[in-house]
Amino acid sequence: MNGPVPAHLGCYANSGGGPSLLPLDIGHADYLALTDPTTAFWALVKKDRLAETLAGGPLLDQYRVQAAEFARELHGLRFELKPSAVYVNPTERCNLDCSYCYIPREMRRSGDHMPTERLLDALTRLKDYFATVMPAGRKPRIIFHGAEPLMNRDALFAAIDAFRDDYLFGVQTNATLLDAAALDFLTARGISIGLSLDGPTADVTDVTRLSFGGKSVHDKVLDTMDRLRDYDAWSVIATCTAKNLGQLVPLVELFHAREVPTCMLNAVRCTLVGGREVKPDDAALAENFIAALERSHALFLESGRKLVIANFANVLLAILAPTARRLMCDISPCGGGRAFFALAPDGGLFPCSEFIGLPAFNGGNLFEQPVADILASQAFTKVTSRDVDKFAPCATCAIRHFCGAPCPAEAHEMNGSMEKVGAFCGFYEEQVRYALRLVADGKAGDFLWDGWDAGVETSFSVNLQ
Amino acid sequence: MSQTTQAQQSQTVPATLQPDVQPAVIATRQRCEADGVGLSHYILMDRKPAQ
Repeated sequence: MNGPVPAHLGCYANSGGGPSLLPLDIGHADYLALTDPTTAFWALVKKDRLAETLAGGPLLDQYRVQAAEFARELHGLRFELKPSAVYVNPTERCNLDCSYCYIPREMRRSGDHMPTERLLDALTRLKDYFATVMPAGRKPRIIFHGAEPLMNRDALFAAIDAFRDDYLFGVQTNATLLDAAALDFLTARGISIGLSLDGPTADVTDVTRLSFGGKSVHDKVLDTMDRLRDYDAWSVIATCTAKNLGQLVPLVELFHAREVPTCMLNAVRCTLVGGREVKPDDAALAENFIAALERSHALFLESGRKLVIANFANVLLAILAPTARRLMCDISPCGGGRAFFALAPDGGLFPCSEFIGLPAFNGGNLFEQPVADILASQAFTKVTSRDVDKFAPCATCAIRHFCGAPCPAEAHEMNGSMEKVGAFCGFYEEQVRYALRLVADGKAGDFLWDGWDAGVETSFSVNLQ
Repeated sequence: MSQTTQAQQSQTVPATLQPDVQPAVIATRQRCEADGVGLSHYILMDRKPAQ
């Protein structure tokens, strides 16, 4: 910018109308970060150049003129989206008794299936709703989730065939019921398949994931992974608990060896007591999680083949390209009830699957009320209005819009209020710091999907020597 | 200070930024249509690089 700075843009950083940039130690030898948390703007500055950077120059000049644009972009992402996906639970039942599941145990053991006709009716109603909020030509997503969706396989497959032109489908399954016929059905239709596995060996997996009869399912999941090896639309979710923390590195090695294209290393959700009983310590989780990331990177350098760890990749995207996020947990408000919602087998709609065990968050019944009315219910708005700008300690946190303080269900059930942090504040702090270190070292792209930036344009770029 | 512009890039090979070319300030931001596509517990493997 040439000449004096217009008064409304502020002459100085951190005073008057000037940009507010918080310094943030990221644990890097050479760099620290500056962030404007109100716009999710960041810069990495060499430590010995901080004073002159804050005194003025190209970084401040360019940010002054674009800050309002970034604020609008973030506001749109946080408050103006319409739903485009539904987690559909076609059954309450599951054949496994995972200790940390967020679906109540009795519901999983002896709950109801959604009859086929009822499921078809549900997808018809949802299709009608999406036609009112989604642009023509874009398909909404249906994720069959659980409990174990393949417990109600006939209904599931009938729905996929009936609506294959209307939705993009995914199935998250424990893999135990994926026989050859089921795999053929799903892969022939290009359905995205997510599996679950928590350990590199059966003795680790079996600590948290066993059948109701106490049988191991580890080998069955490995067998299914082998059969999916040449399929390109599959992933694996591992739940990180106090029981498998030390095994995340060998678990990543197993995933890479079996050519898993994408995995998620999700911290256990602490909404229900069972999850809280295996909650890992934040610092220990961060240490082991980052070790697993580092191992995945080393494997990439050795083999040229990436194992993308999607939940961390999403934190990187929140920093590099906020609107390119693919997951909507680590944003505030989270995606629950506004980017997606969940359908229970009895027709109840919840902001997210995470709330299905909590009747107070049932917003209404799909078969009795319009979806739009349910989305406006108090059960939903309690979640969709949770805003990290409005409660401590998030309101003064420099990285609050890279993290979003997930998850509202945990905050409510574990910490007593929607206006509390979730279960893993410290873990998210460490993830963001690590992500910024990767950016400083020019390695961030190694942790993202190839082609992640197709359709993405650069809106800000300052690189000063 | 001199200013240069970083080209948008999709890295398909390991990054090779050398320490001796570390910039003093790095600040980038990218954007795309915020189309509402986003999930929670699940990653839908339906986005192809060419799309």
